[in-house]
Amino acid sequence: MARKLAAIPELCSGCRICELVCAIEHFGVNNPKKSAIRVLVTYPHPVMRLPIACSQCKLPLCADACPVGALRRSETLVELDRSSCISCMKCVEACPFGAIYAHGDLDHPVKCDLCGGQPRCVEKCPKGALRFIPEQSLGESKRMNNILSYAHMKEIEFTEKGEQRRIRYAEIGKEELP
Amino acid sequence: MTVKSGYFKRNLHVDLSAGSCQRRPLADEFLVRYLGGRGFGAKLVWDHLLAHDFKLDPLGPENLLVIAPGPLTGAYLPSSGKCSFVAVSPATGVYGDSSIGGTLGMELRQAGIDVLSITGRAPQLSILWIDEEATSIVAMPELAGKTCLEAEGLIKDRLGTHDVKIAVIGVAGENLVRFACVNADWSRNAGRAGMGAIMGSKNLKAVAVRGSRDLPVHDLPALVAEAEKAYAYMRSHKYFKMWQREGLMMVMEYASAAGILPTHNFKDGTFARVDKINGETMLEGYKIGDTACFACPMSCGNINLVKQGKYVGTVTEGPEYESCAMLGSNLGIDNFAAVLHGNQLCDELGMDTISTGSLIGAVIEGYEMGVLSLADLDGQPISWGDDSAVMALIHKIARRQGIGDTLADGARGVLRRWPEMHKYVLHVKGLEQSAYDSRAASSMALAYATSDIGAHHTRAWTIAREIEQGKNWSDEERVDLVIYHQSLRPLFDMLGVCRLPWIELGLNEQHYARFYSAITGREVTLPELLKLSSDIYDLTRLINCRLGLGRKDDAMPYKVRACPIRTGATAGKVIDQAGFDRLLDLYYRKRGWDAEGNPPAEVERLHNACLVLG
Repeated sequence: MARKLAAIPELCSGCRICELVCAIEHFGVNNPKKSAIRVLVTYPHPVMRLPIACSQCKLPLCADACPVGALRRSETLVELDRSSCISCMKCVEACPFGAIYAHGDLDHPVKCDLCGGQPRCVEKCPKGALRFIPEQSLGESKRMNNILSYAHMKEIEFTEKGEQRRIRYAEIGKEELP
Repeated sequence: MTVKSGYFKRNLHVDLSAGSCQRRPLADEFLVRYLGGRGFGAKLVWDHLLAHDFKLDPLGPENLLVIAPGPLTGAYLPSSGKCSFVAVSPATGVYGDSSIGGTLGMELRQAGIDVLSITGRAPQLSILWIDEEATSIVAMPELAGKTCLEAEGLIKDRLGTHDVKIAVIGVAGENLVRFACVNADWSRNAGRAGMGAIMGSKNLKAVAVRGSRDLPVHDLPALVAEAEKAYAYMRSHKYFKMWQREGLMMVMEYASAAGILPTHNFKDGTFARVDKINGETMLEGYKIGDTACFACPMSCGNINLVKQGKYVGTVTEGPEYESCAMLGSNLGIDNFAAVLHGNQLCDELGMDTISTGSLIGAVIEGYEMGVLSLADLDGQPISWGDDSAVMALIHKIARRQGIGDTLADGARGVLRRWPEMHKYVLHVKGLEQSAYDSRAASSMALAYATSDIGAHHTRAWTIAREIEQGKNWSDEERVDLVIYHQSLRPLFDMLGVCRLPWIELGLNEQHYARFYSAITGREVTLPELLKLSSDIYDLTRLINCRLGLGRKDDAMPYKVRACPIRTGATAGKVIDQAGFDRLLDLYYRKRGWDAEGNPPAEVERLHNACLVLG
């Protein structure tokens, strides 16, 4: 069954261990910039740590952009045939997520191959922010978060000075100051 | 001897006055003897001081700022994201260093630089832009008066990329606040010893770096095998998850219960309302995310958001223990949102939270005791727990307004203007004491007194062990532990890694010798590395002695020797001067220094014999 690499940004700490193990696995070098998964960090608005890797799209735009047909969708993967790749890096620009990477030392784009079905990044993530899950489970963390944020839109409960209190989301920041 | 790997063997030397940037080859012997980070910094500062006949204004263009990752920085091993800033400190006037986490060190390495050295002064406010092999000095006068974050944004706009790491100073650094820090990755700081003021004095608002090179690693499979053991050990530790959840905020409860939490400017050792500013309070109402330095599984950084009340919208990475103690309990503040806001202000303005909290605490106590008048406070009273007054004071320090102008000169500045404040300002060598009350442990008082940069726990942190051991701990054991810490802890700063996996999760320090061997291809043992670190301790001591310091400066703050702790598990404790002197004598003897604390002549010969450039 097709499994997908999923990232849960809420859990990611931005430590970049995934980048290191990916580059070590695929290129045998200690260089996070040769990784097929990269953590994008933004602050303070929004505060975000988002690991970005290839989604293995079923209708891959990267493949459409490839002038020599070096990218092909197989059963579970979008695969790069290095022997026919001409290093134009059009796929890097075509990916809507920016999830294919280029590096000056390398002739070919750096693209996730799911490590043959056992992604090393998932194994080594110390936060459980990367998951390798059945396709039908994709988005489960988002669904849960949506429920939570929907609930927050009505009201949230919180503890302040040991006291349970409730506040309506829309009023946050507007209550009167003492 | 040749160094096979682990280094690029390159120093980038920048003279801002001349506008020159030079990549220079480093000698193998220098790499082997000084390792990296603080080791490189100490040697470069020593050579620089020799060339200037030890007459140098820390805030003059002639001062040398060294920014150095280590041979382990950025490698696949736990918590390898550290980088040292080293210079003659404007806070103490002697050797100073401060390390920063995050990703700056890794990026410098990927740009092919083992050590960056900066001297001179740019004609106008500028940034240093290191883009792979190219280096340029870019004038950006529009950055004047910008906060760290604002400046970072403007620099990214100017350079046209967000794929860049930036070490930046805030308003405090520009205004030469003597405890200004250097900020990177939003909330990581080289906090102590005033490194931000040195950048300010050089008209250097920021160093921006982008690099993409492979790190030189001699035996990558061996490194990975060793790293996997270390990571696996950490992940199986019973406190590992707790570290991810709370980080250093865990220490608040421990310190208060143990009676070593700075409270009301170290009058008390415990804070009755610690539950309002502890880890649990943070988790219940504020924490929205975790953050980690490079390659660190512990992710001790907490991202917190204030969702309501006076400080609504405050969002910051932090506080960690020191900031929470110094801006919280030390000022009698029991409002976690206020602590967060103070932390955010210090980060944005670019000031050390420890020194800031310490000096404001001294002001509150000085005013309470009548040493400072209302006029001294510019007509604005301040008292314990008055968070609004504290925020106002933080702004005034960074901008050098009113009393802030005096506070901005640090402990020394305060004592120059109000000598009777010596009862309330806790410092060693001009550096304000960090957040562990040393009256609870004489070994900690010794650690602060003999720390080369002043009263900071970075060199030795023996307080927890002494509390465990109680009275049965002999003088000799105390001194031995202080010296062991002063060798091992700086070794982490030389290698460019964080010490928390070792000190907090008990990761065996033997791993680090094997990491070093795998990376450089030079087989070493831990004792050999510790000897090199200890040699650096002799060197920084020699620097300090040459700059006029001696036994008289290895002293306890007034409070530590004269005012017993008022409340808490350690109530009544104070360090007896005679007992301290005994420890200090023993310490000097064990170090091989004379009774005045001067290291022997061979130290100078040893360090002069080695050339930096190859």
